[in-house]
Amino acid sequence: MPALVPAPMLKIEFETYALANGLRVILHTDRSSPLVAVDLWYHVGSKDEVPGRTGFAHLFEHLMFMGSRHAPYPAFDAIMESWGGHNNGTTSNDRTNYYEIGPRNLLETFLWLEADRLATLPDVITAEELEKQLKVVQNERRQSYENRPYGRAELAIPEAMYPADHPYHWPTIGSHEDLEAATVDDVRAFFDRFYRPSNASLVVAGDFDPAEARALVDRYFGWQPKREPPQRPPHPATPRLAADVEISLTDRVQLPRLRLAWHTPALFAPGDADLDLAAHVLGGGKSSRLYRALVFERRIAQDVFAYQGSQMLSSVFHIGATAKPEHDLAEIGVAIDAEIGRLAAEGPTEAELARARNTHLADFYKGLDHLQTRADLLNHYQNLLGDPDGVGRDVGRYADATRASVRDAFARALAGKRLALQTLPDPVTA
Amino acid sequence: MTSAPAVGPLPSVVPPHADRFTLSNGLEVVTVRREVAPIVSAALMIRSGAGNDPPEMSGLASLTAEMLDEGAGTRDALTLADELERLGADLWLGSGRDGSQLSVQAPHDTFFAALDIAGDVLVRPRLTESDWERVLADRKTANAQRRDQPEAVVSVVSDRLLFGDAHPYGRPVEGFSRTLERLHLDDVRAFHQTHWRPNHAFLVVAGAFDEASLRARLEAALGGWTGSPPPEPAASPAWPARPRLCIVDRPGAPQSIVRLVAPGTDRLSPDRPGLAMLNAILGGSFTSRLNFNLREKNGFTYGASSSFAFLRRPGSFAARAAVFAESTAPAVREMLGELRGLHERPVTADEHAKARATLLMRVAEGLATTGGIAASFGDIGLYGLPLDEPLRFVAALERTTADDLRALAARYIDPEAASIVIVGDRAAIEPGLRELGLPAPVICDADGDPL
Repeated sequence: MPALVPAPMLKIEFETYALANGLRVILHTDRSSPLVAVDLWYHVGSKDEVPGRTGFAHLFEHLMFMGSRHAPYPAFDAIMESWGGHNNGTTSNDRTNYYEIGPRNLLETFLWLEADRLATLPDVITAEELEKQLKVVQNERRQSYENRPYGRAELAIPEAMYPADHPYHWPTIGSHEDLEAATVDDVRAFFDRFYRPSNASLVVAGDFDPAEARALVDRYFGWQPKREPPQRPPHPATPRLAADVEISLTDRVQLPRLRLAWHTPALFAPGDADLDLAAHVLGGGKSSRLYRALVFERRIAQDVFAYQGSQMLSSVFHIGATAKPEHDLAEIGVAIDAEIGRLAAEGPTEAELARARNTHLADFYKGLDHLQTRADLLNHYQNLLGDPDGVGRDVGRYADATRASVRDAFARALAGKRLALQTLPDPVTA
Repeated sequence: MTSAPAVGPLPSVVPPHADRFTLSNGLEVVTVRREVAPIVSAALMIRSGAGNDPPEMSGLASLTAEMLDEGAGTRDALTLADELERLGADLWLGSGRDGSQLSVQAPHDTFFAALDIAGDVLVRPRLTESDWERVLADRKTANAQRRDQPEAVVSVVSDRLLFGDAHPYGRPVEGFSRTLERLHLDDVRAFHQTHWRPNHAFLVVAGAFDEASLRARLEAALGGWTGSPPPEPAASPAWPARPRLCIVDRPGAPQSIVRLVAPGTDRLSPDRPGLAMLNAILGGSFTSRLNFNLREKNGFTYGASSSFAFLRRPGSFAARAAVFAESTAPAVREMLGELRGLHERPVTADEHAKARATLLMRVAEGLATTGGIAASFGDIGLYGLPLDEPLRFVAALERTTADDLRALAARYIDPEAASIVIVGDRAAIEPGLRELGLPAPVICDADGDPL
């Protein structure tokens, strides 16, 4: 049995410091290609929204490209693309990130653009710009959920799992109603509260000289005033389902799909990595138990999957399977329950555990090959642990897992109440 | 702080050093070292893909690729998958239009063990009836599910209209339900026997591999693989006549998936670098004319783009967007307008500079990961290009002028030649399209058969 031990290359070298205004700065050099990446995380996600104003963190990601005082729209994209750079942003429940990637001669431009929008965006945002981006986001909602097979289930699951006052209840994309209700004043208030140097971390990665980068970061971000990190509401109570929940909805699909979901421990909490490994044993790849039983041997499912959806406040363990033609979800459900029962009682075999652990580690190696992924990992650990140096701790969680710890975490979590959601073919439109 | 900082010169793009040797069975091997992460990527390219499927057997190349790891040598399908996972190795098999591919990515300390399994998959696949029944049934179901995905439907229908039924690119790589019905395991065996041959293949190994033993390990894993290259495929038929407008009805759809397609050119065309630049300006970047118009100016869509498919035989040019159902006709008008715009508002000096920088940095980024290096050099092998192709491409970008781009626009971009294919709610969108002056649409099903 080959055991993959963390190799010397399994680390990300960095230096880190904070500016007087609280901005966390992390520098990671990699001179293997003439590229730089700037990766700026704001520690705000849809979990920081309030009911009636959902979708705001993500809408903000769009507004951040609508120009700042010294780089009026569309200078942000136009300047960097004129030099072969590109950029994007992503929003989750837990955080918002913005990144730029391009040739090393763009480093100062990237920092200038990011600093200018942090310093001046609320001064220049207009109702017209807001209106335009609302339309783009509404199209994104249609493209990513409403016009995508099984997309309605993705919207329904968090809504069913979390109570209305829990911030994971609503999807990151928000609702059409809330998006349409957004005003410029809302935008300014949201910005004022969360877009502060003390609520952000900045990774500069790639081909640059660290002393020069420090001077540039100082020049563009150092003058910005110090403000306290935003006050956040206390952590909501750990969510639980009082009873099993069953939901049935229709979508424009050919085949029915069953989704099962349970509440599980938060990202990095005890049991989180164990459940990640359990998900792999159940549904990761061709040699997983569910694939073997449902797809390969009995041939009742077209596909199966399982994953631990790890998040900062609390996580959800997901299992899904799509029925083959001539088979139904009741049959699928019984077969999945049999595998759940077996794993909860016996845990994984030693071979299964090694397989899950090695696959996880190999995926981690693959991420380390990519500059932007390394930059994002440093920010991820900073956001989660308050320290970018998280690789060893993260990988260690998987190395420490045992057959018993995986079995126990899995049995405990899946003994709780669950959501069973069926997506059935819409008889009219499918 | 108030004005944009000065920007120094673009760094030059220096592709990594590549070594080349030939195994005793004639297989060409290219190796590129990269030691940023402890992984190795290998890509074995076969110079036959779905373009080599007989017309009535569409789907054969991709099913052959998929069948190879369903048990090989001493291992059955599940044992094989199990062992690869224990090694932390990813094995991927698939086909495109022009080629088929076996890729392995693994941590450097298990790469050779994974390579041995890949060698079995390549040379000694079991190809049993029981596995075939399962894989074929899965494919038939997946093909039926294609109807769920409007983006997939628009691709199938567009290619069928543009290339026609007599052309190998007119059929989807995954096949049609009716062609899958005709396939048998013997066809897979024959395709493997004919096309998966070392003199018709090319191997790239990239990453942190052990240089001292690589060659011997490759000989051990692949040396027993022999055979001669397959016969040359038939010449391409001419572009067929095609309808101006085709709709695949999706009643009640909240978005319309819009695709404009027209003939493009081939992978070896000297126009490729210039067309890649022209495309960056038209629809190949965020600030491109299409995205700026449809997304930023009009708010019709989450994104609009365009691309050329540079293939062994001349491929397609396509412009695409998913738009609000109620914005369908205005979006089509603006898309056609932007194609016309390349003639009415010729490429500017700024656009030319942007396109050059964008393409140069795309080369640099493409070569900045182990998987990217394997893919870039795999493409070189698939099309039989010289190993210094990245440098030649860079040099071509450097010397292509704005005037060259204007000339290419005149030759390649013709809004009147484009076919418009839309997957959307016919009743809601057809009146608006008629007002644009478009002819009555051909109505097709999800496979592109007229209804």
